[in-house]
Amino acid sequence: MSKKSLICALLLLAISVTAYAAEPHKPSPSDKCAVCGMLVGPHSKWLAQIIFKDGTVAFFDGPKDMFKFYCDIPKYNPNKTQADIEDIYVTEYYTAKPVKAQTALYVVGSDVMGPMGKEFVPVTPDKANNFMVDHKGQKTFKFDEIKAADLQSGETGMSHAVHKH
Amino acid sequence: MKGNGRIIEYALSTLARRKFKNFSIAVVFSALIAVLSSILFLTHAYKTETLKLLDNSPEIILQNMSGGRHELIPTEYIKTLSGIAGVGQITPRYWGYYYDSLTSANYTLMAVDENMRDIQLIDGRMPQTDTECAVGRGVADLRQAGLKDDFFLITGAELSVNLKIVGIFTANSAILTNDLVVMTKDSLIKFFNMPADKATDITVEVNNPAEVSMVARKIRRAFPNSRPILKNELIRTYDNIFNWRGGIVLTMFFGAIAAFMIFVWDKATGINAQERREIGILKAIGWETADVLTLKFWEGAVVATGSFLTGLILAYVHVFYFNAQFLAPVLKGWSVLFPRFQPMPYIDIYQIFVLFFLTVVPYVAASVVPSWKAAISDPDAVMR
Repeated sequence: MSKKSLICALLLLAISVTAYAAEPHKPSPSDKCAVCGMLVGPHSKWLAQIIFKDGTVAFFDGPKDMFKFYCDIPKYNPNKTQADIEDIYVTEYYTAKPVKAQTALYVVGSDVMGPMGKEFVPVTPDKANNFMVDHKGQKTFKFDEIKAADLQSGETGMSHAVHKH
Repeated sequence: MKGNGRIIEYALSTLARRKFKNFSIAVVFSALIAVLSSILFLTHAYKTETLKLLDNSPEIILQNMSGGRHELIPTEYIKTLSGIAGVGQITPRYWGYYYDSLTSANYTLMAVDENMRDIQLIDGRMPQTDTECAVGRGVADLRQAGLKDDFFLITGAELSVNLKIVGIFTANSAILTNDLVVMTKDSLIKFFNMPADKATDITVEVNNPAEVSMVARKIRRAFPNSRPILKNELIRTYDNIFNWRGGIVLTMFFGAIAAFMIFVWDKATGINAQERREIGILKAIGWETADVLTLKFWEGAVVATGSFLTGLILAYVHVFYFNAQFLAPVLKGWSVLFPRFQPMPYIDIYQIFVLFFLTVVPYVAASVVPSWKAAISDPDAVMR
């Protein structure tokens, strides 16, 4: 193989790899939240999504439901595990644009309500303090600090009422 | 039970026998429906048109106030505004009003800006140099000017400015762009003699609608002399204005409606001796009460529905083909000076149903009930 074609091949590989990094998807009007079953279309400012390596996507109508799914994937989709996840996106509060879930901070106890009541509101770290003050947030979490127990505790409100009967 | 078709046939011939009575009811009925639905159509068309226009408007328009009046706003505010969390694009706008004595009309002069999203050029392009301008179709028609024609404006200092028309545009909504003249920022600033560091107002986009009121509060705190106008406030205000105007017009016609009600009541309930006799004969030759009622129902329904449809068509033609010549001056308000404003035919099916149930149904009921009274009594007694 000549040097030139090798470079070409490498370039092609590089391009295809970058293209493969999962982009956030746009939900269709009939897409439903994988946890609570609500339509996600009307709540585009809260949309969260988990993109799997096989290209399938699970949409959520807020970060709270996304975490519920993430912490207990077999319950909602027995064929998938956390290892199958390619990327997770949440919609940042101030820009209303998707950001990678791991880069955001999650504020609980604020006066901002999502489609499912109290929420883990995703904000970029530089805006987190601002949000805490403006909206009376009580606590911020990093992505990997959120555990199943946090989702069930009273902090996020509705979870008891909705899922315990 | 007779065939329904036969009964309708008979109902039609009964109507034809009393031509004058039924014709006069139909005329008054249609006229009333035409007036009422003209008002509804026009109000609804204006409202839809305005809301469509506000669709693309920014979440917040920031005005500067001085002594309770709108004043030019310093562009240095932009730096502070961009520091507020959640704020997207911030754009200073340059515009003003100009009274054109030549055509006795008010124009809105505006500086060209990249995000004039709802303007669609019909012909030509947007202005690029200080001697060019683009005009709305309303202005072009009024001035009888076309592309490459000259466009004179007189400044306050009695100096005339001569611009070349390089584009003619229209928009999704005719209301605001009809009277619009777009020129470059520099020539507009020169024309209105505005200071270099000020704009007319500033538009602020907010990415997340949930955050709009928080942003507005912060702006008010940072600039106590400013007035942030929120998009949903605008929508509500326009909605109220049109509802209010529509209501005033409806009130004016309240007398007409009341007169119609009395008229209908009188004509439909006043069963005369001849009609009574007729019902008696029908019963005597073997019609049942149900058949008589069906007959009366069809008589009422034919007159009422026919007049209702005629009235609707008249209103549609009046509003959307003749630009609501009789009503527009009352409802429009601000653009009376403009001869041409074609409302788009938006129709609210819900309103038509409401109108139908308020007029046709009572009429039919009013014509069935007295006949029912006559029909349940003994035919012998009725005929005597």
